[in-house]
Amino acid sequence: MGRLLGRLLLLFLAFALLYPLLRILLLGVGEGLARALGNPFYLGRYLFSLQYGFLSALLTLLLALPLAFLFRRRFPFREALLAWSTLPFVLPAPVVALGFLALLGPRGLLGVDLYGTQAMLLLAAVFYNLGLALRILLPVALCLEGPLRAARVLGASPFRAFLRVGLPLLLPALGSAGLLVFLYTFSAFGVPLLLGGGRYATLEVEVYTLLAHRLAFAEASGLMLLQLATLGLAAFLYLRIPSYPLSPGGLLPGPRPWALTLGLGLLFLLLYAPLLALFLEVDPRALVRAWASEAFTPLPLALWNTFRFALPAFLLALLLGVAYAVAARGRGGLDLLGLLPLMVSPVAVGFGYLLAYPSLRGSSLLLAAAYALLAYPLLARALLPALRSLPPSLPGAARVLGATPFRAFLKVELPLLLPALASGSALALAAILGEFGASLVLWRPEWTTLTLAIYERLGRPGEGPYREALALAALLALLSGLLFYLLDRGRGRLG
Amino acid sequence: MLRILAAFALLAFGLAQEITVLTHNSFSLDRALIAQFERETGLRLRFLKGGDAGETLNRAILTRAAPIADVIYGFDNTFLSRALEADILLPYRSPEVRNLKATLLLDPTFRALPVDYGWVSLNYDRAYFKDRPLPRTPQDLARPEYARLLVVQNPATSSPGLAFLMATVARFGEDGYLDFWARLREGGVRVAKGWSEAYYTHFTLYKGDRPLVVSYTTSPAAEVFYSEGRYQEPPTGNLFPELAFFQVEFVGILRGTRNPEGARRVVDWFLSRPVQENLPTEMWMYPARRETRLPEVFRFAPEPLGSVRLDPGAMARNRERWIEEWTKVVLQGQSPEAVRRARR
Repeated sequence: MGRLLGRLLLLFLAFALLYPLLRILLLGVGEGLARALGNPFYLGRYLFSLQYGFLSALLTLLLALPLAFLFRRRFPFREALLAWSTLPFVLPAPVVALGFLALLGPRGLLGVDLYGTQAMLLLAAVFYNLGLALRILLPVALCLEGPLRAARVLGASPFRAFLRVGLPLLLPALGSAGLLVFLYTFSAFGVPLLLGGGRYATLEVEVYTLLAHRLAFAEASGLMLLQLATLGLAAFLYLRIPSYPLSPGGLLPGPRPWALTLGLGLLFLLLYAPLLALFLEVDPRALVRAWASEAFTPLPLALWNTFRFALPAFLLALLLGVAYAVAARGRGGLDLLGLLPLMVSPVAVGFGYLLAYPSLRGSSLLLAAAYALLAYPLLARALLPALRSLPPSLPGAARVLGATPFRAFLKVELPLLLPALASGSALALAAILGEFGASLVLWRPEWTTLTLAIYERLGRPGEGPYREALALAALLALLSGLLFYLLDRGRGRLG
Repeated sequence: MLRILAAFALLAFGLAQEITVLTHNSFSLDRALIAQFERETGLRLRFLKGGDAGETLNRAILTRAAPIADVIYGFDNTFLSRALEADILLPYRSPEVRNLKATLLLDPTFRALPVDYGWVSLNYDRAYFKDRPLPRTPQDLARPEYARLLVVQNPATSSPGLAFLMATVARFGEDGYLDFWARLREGGVRVAKGWSEAYYTHFTLYKGDRPLVVSYTTSPAAEVFYSEGRYQEPPTGNLFPELAFFQVEFVGILRGTRNPEGARRVVDWFLSRPVQENLPTEMWMYPARRETRLPEVFRFAPEPLGSVRLDPGAMARNRERWIEEWTKVVLQGQSPEAVRRARR
């Protein structure tokens, strides 16, 4: 069965990813790459993307490392805080951007205008990725107590023990977390597009501008290649990072648990203030106006479109995700290939579809395929570890008792996998609901989803449309957050 | 009996016929006019808004193989060459063409027909400048007393922004326009994404902090028109006719339309007298049709003398480079010399 599912996935990947990418390659390899590299303007954009990815990773790690050590301790509301830190990861980019505008924009609550500065972009990157880094560092940090204590017993000072024993053991996790944050921010789209003010644009944003405003296919594909090469290198490094086998450790008692709760609570309040600002700034009347809007896509239509595309896309992503996880359970080769969609930027996918399937331009099939493609690896990533930890004897036992392989999977393995499946589904659904880059490229005016309805209003930021955008963003944040909690209940299987 | 059924079927088919018009976000026309057109022709009109004028045109080009509309309206002379090169339009020599101003017929193949024209220009807030002297020349904008007073649109994402950039190229030439922009940058010019953001968010008339904005020569008249009697005189005025940029907006039939006959009727309608007379107070542009009555309020919108024009071929060849160079100088803070050196 694994082989069959693997083939199904490969077939989908060939049509939905490889062929469109090949078309970009053909267009960009010759003239496009030369033009993109020969023009210092684009080189500048590339350098900025590198710098943004690098600085974001550094900042996130600097904050996540001490936090991971604090979260080793037991204190009230520890789980809630941890869950809260992963929430931004599933929030759509326009929601996050509007949250930052509500707090630190030209009309922001704080009265400090950071719009169009690098500081705001970096803050947004930390906001997005801190939870992710924490999730990766925490399991390792939890195992450090034994080795650290051993070093202390042998006479090392706490600082020296950390430097000589703790840090080397943490290095692989730091590397993984750093590379993941780099991957995500280097190719970030929504946040730099909405908050960069034209001055700071990642390659992804520049590709979009080249395409949507200037229709420069050759340059866009040249930039796309540059980005793919960089992301490929980072992903290669990510997969090469070894991890030390560590004996698991438990939570430590907190010395002053309530002080920890209070301190971390305040810190989190500060870090996630943009989200609060978003809700504080919402004007219910704007929601009513958005409902019956004549100038923009009215809310009921946007909601309908969102569900209309999300449902088939999710079902497809579910099928692909399960197929991939089952097929990749044993083999590593497929593992890398199946993760390829995580490396490819959504804008590139949309762009590739326009090139590869000109006769389908304007068919909703493309949008559903793009959503499924971008969402299934998230689902599979959550499912795969659970699948691998199932004892292989389990289906064997079922088979001996007379079950067919399919029946054994359905009756024995699937129930054990359900929690992981729910987590993965939450991630995939949130990704589909908030998808922005591919939607924007493939968009037709009558397809406007909730995410695009926000962008549509932000395009004309008088006070009225801005208020409507805020209200829609709050609605979408609630929707994504609710979905995430209903399905995942704070388990947050990420990374 | 069969004949009656067939007639009904035909009628039902005729009633269901829908013509989709792709336009930019600022499109607006009197609803009564639209309803009248639908009654008279049995066609149903649907307007799709595709974003900024440039973005809208690009949507049409990208969806060329499966067109999302029958008619496109609103791309201007700065983008005319792109529309013609992409070959997305069907030629149509409307009978109304002979009524149009000859100077506006920029496409001899009649694929793009002019609907209206106007000027992008600097507006100032009269109240703010009541006791302060106005800048007398464009160069004055760089002087310290005018620092941080101007908001412009990003030419990469906005067509009035692009028009204003082109006006500076036309006025100061390839060698000088970057120096002018570098001086504006040092004077703290603010860059907005699009026209409505600049006008309704940053302009002092709408509680912003910038009393100078890139807009249209007709904007002062529009302010009086929409003020419901509050203003007898425009609260804003135009500055520097020598920086006003001539803009023509076109309509065209998209190749691949399923209803070419209906599309032609829509184009004729755009050029007909009732629509042309409605345009000025809806789109705030001048009608392309000769001898069209202008609304009374247009006495506040005199045509600027000595405005600049650029050759469409030169605009087509250099548009991308100008935008890049502008971004480098204004947004990224590079020096004009460095940018000119990189040109070679």
